[in-house]
Amino acid sequence: MARVEFHEATLPNGLKVIAEVNPEAKSAAAGYFVRTGSRDEVAGEEGISHFLEHMVFKGSERRSAWDVNREFDEMGAKYNAFTNEEMTVFYGAVLPEFLPRLLDLLSDLMQPALREEDFESERKVILEEIALYRDRPDAVLFERAQRRYFGSHPLARPVLGTPESISRMRLAQMRSYHARRYLTGNMTLAFAGNLVWEEALLLAETMTSGWRRGKAPRNYPGFKPRPGLERDRFDKATQLYTTFVAPGVSARREERYTARVLAEILGDPDNGRLFWRLVDTGLAESAVAFHHEFDELGAFYVFAQGDPANEEAISEAVREELQRLRASGVSSEELGRAKLKAATSLVFAGETTLSRLFYVGANYSYTGRYEPLDAVRRWVLHLETYHVEELLEEHDFAETLEYRLVPTAKD
Amino acid sequence: MAVPTVDTLDNGLHVVVEEQPWNPGVSFTILVPAGAVNDPPELQGAASMLETWLWKGAGPRDARLFADSLDALGVRRQSGTGIEYTTFSASLLPEGLPAALELYADLLMRPRLPDDAFESVRSLALQELAAVEDQPMRKLMQHLRREAFTSSHGQPVEGTRETLEAMTPAVLRAEHARRYGPEGTIVAVAGGVEPGVVRRAVEAHFGAWRGGRAGEPPVALSKPHGFHVSQETEQVQIGLFYEDVPPGHYDFYAARLAASILSGGMSSRLFTEVREKRGLVYSVGASPGSVKGFGYLIAYAGTMPERASDTLEVIRQVISGLREGVTRAELDRAKVGLRADLVLAGESSRARAAALARDMFILGRARGLEEVEAEVMDVTLDRIDLFLSKHPYENPWVGTLGPVEVA
Repeated sequence: MARVEFHEATLPNGLKVIAEVNPEAKSAAAGYFVRTGSRDEVAGEEGISHFLEHMVFKGSERRSAWDVNREFDEMGAKYNAFTNEEMTVFYGAVLPEFLPRLLDLLSDLMQPALREEDFESERKVILEEIALYRDRPDAVLFERAQRRYFGSHPLARPVLGTPESISRMRLAQMRSYHARRYLTGNMTLAFAGNLVWEEALLLAETMTSGWRRGKAPRNYPGFKPRPGLERDRFDKATQLYTTFVAPGVSARREERYTARVLAEILGDPDNGRLFWRLVDTGLAESAVAFHHEFDELGAFYVFAQGDPANEEAISEAVREELQRLRASGVSSEELGRAKLKAATSLVFAGETTLSRLFYVGANYSYTGRYEPLDAVRRWVLHLETYHVEELLEEHDFAETLEYRLVPTAKD
Repeated sequence: MAVPTVDTLDNGLHVVVEEQPWNPGVSFTILVPAGAVNDPPELQGAASMLETWLWKGAGPRDARLFADSLDALGVRRQSGTGIEYTTFSASLLPEGLPAALELYADLLMRPRLPDDAFESVRSLALQELAAVEDQPMRKLMQHLRREAFTSSHGQPVEGTRETLEAMTPAVLRAEHARRYGPEGTIVAVAGGVEPGVVRRAVEAHFGAWRGGRAGEPPVALSKPHGFHVSQETEQVQIGLFYEDVPPGHYDFYAARLAASILSGGMSSRLFTEVREKRGLVYSVGASPGSVKGFGYLIAYAGTMPERASDTLEVIRQVISGLREGVTRAELDRAKVGLRADLVLAGESSRARAAALARDMFILGRARGLEEVEAEVMDVTLDRIDLFLSKHPYENPWVGTLGPVEVA
């Protein structure tokens, strides 16, 4: 791997700045990782984190929306933003000479103007985005399953909000949400690629000096999984879509890598147990498993899609595979293959500057630590079957929720 | 930046390598010229079914042992069938490359194509076909292609219910013999590996390959027209298909830059006019596409029914407005955007392997990033304006999908 060097600092205003510097890289990337998302919204704010992410690109006191779009494009920046349950991330990658300009722009945007006319026009765009996903059965499935699985826990809330919550939202609410969540102690500024650390740090300090300081709290209510089976009809689906959700490992724990390897053994798309049981036999079009990490907890997901006529057979097969995993664990041969594949993926996660930025920034936001890809790779390669068994003991697949979406026409 | 090397084996197989000495990984794409375009009309979906069936065992290994052997090398893999070709892509550590190529030689040259897996392959194909109904944008794009091309370029990759149900093992085996061979096939490799190492491994494992080559018919088009697909969706999907210049044409990069001015970044014309100024959509854009010898531009948007006709009208106006020319500032942004795209693509061995294979297929040669960059930079304001005035983007095929027909 390229010789990379890690740096970290806390600015006088409390903002954490980190960088994984690779002098051989041909590009540089920067991103603000704000520890806020749909789980941090209060009643009446459903979808406000994501709406605010859109409004950020509408400009600051110094820049109009057009200025923002034009300036990013003048640098040829590859840039965007995303919002999930726990994080809002604004990022860009550029040729190294543009990094100071990219940083100036991104930093300025963190203090958005939030103008009324932009708010009204963007509200329509958000409503279209919600409509877009309501035409996609897999997206509808995951949103409903998440709501049902997490119940009264804040992770149950949909990231986009609902047409009703977005239609009712007022600009004053967004201002107060921004004032409450976009605080220096609740953000990390991350860099990756070809840059000079001292220069980047100095620029960051200048550009963020006037920012509102402080930390933003997050609620961690207790969570008890609610196993069961839900079966919904959906008039826009012609296929069966089903997901199984079970307790997993938090983003703060090292065992999350074990959990990912376990998910791979179960549901790797080419050679996982579910593939041989469901796809190789033609029972389902796809059957995969993955592990998703949240702040204080995690979840295993199985997803399968196929002919509605196979509904019961698909469900039965997945249940049996989960049961077999509980009862007999994994063999050292399949663990060996899965961890080698996971280790290869980690090499490729380090290939581009942008993927390094995401990796370093997201991990640090959760753990407050830097974990070099090389170290994670070694960690994964040292996994033994007893690590997986320990994980299986701790996370019981008996607590699984199954959520199915079936076509209306069928019944 | 590296310059790719190209070799052709005695049997016609092309080997393209771009060395990235800094890269601890390596990726390859094997492109076999078998796709929807050379599916016989009564066997639509054959190339796609064949791709699935190939994985059911090859050479001395059954399906499971084959998958285990690739896993033992840590290979991350993908395969997919498109209009003109089927690709087999893999990413792994360089020391495993020769062994992985040996396995892929089995996959392509000596697949078992076992009878007992055939019904499950058919079942998957039927489910994949049915799933298109649940993906409105994908479905519209399929219809758009079918309406615009009268040549077999318009055939659905997934096939049709009738053709999939009529498929037999014997027929598909014959299709493998007819279409899988070294002639026209490309092995493209990028990453931390020396070209000589790749060449020796490909020669050793693919050198004895003999097999057919189907070829592609010339492109034929219908007269531009409109159509509507009725479906109960929240949003109306809108698609427009414009004829464009083919790859390799003198004006190809003028056209690419024009597409970028339309839809490259958030300051592009479509995003600004349709989303930013009017809030009509969440997604809108235009992307250039091509098949051998022919280029096209597809514009798309999704919006709620009551705003669909406004959206379509604005998109048409913005695109036809290109004939008036572009500003220097727009051209500069488009150029720096494409340049950055090239640099970032150069970081990824996967992206490079795929691009090299496609270059070789479409143009018959593989270009380094510097050569592409020079072609982009050569386009002056006068050149692009002249191109746009001589080649206005007008008179498209227009398709909509949704609960209401859009005027």
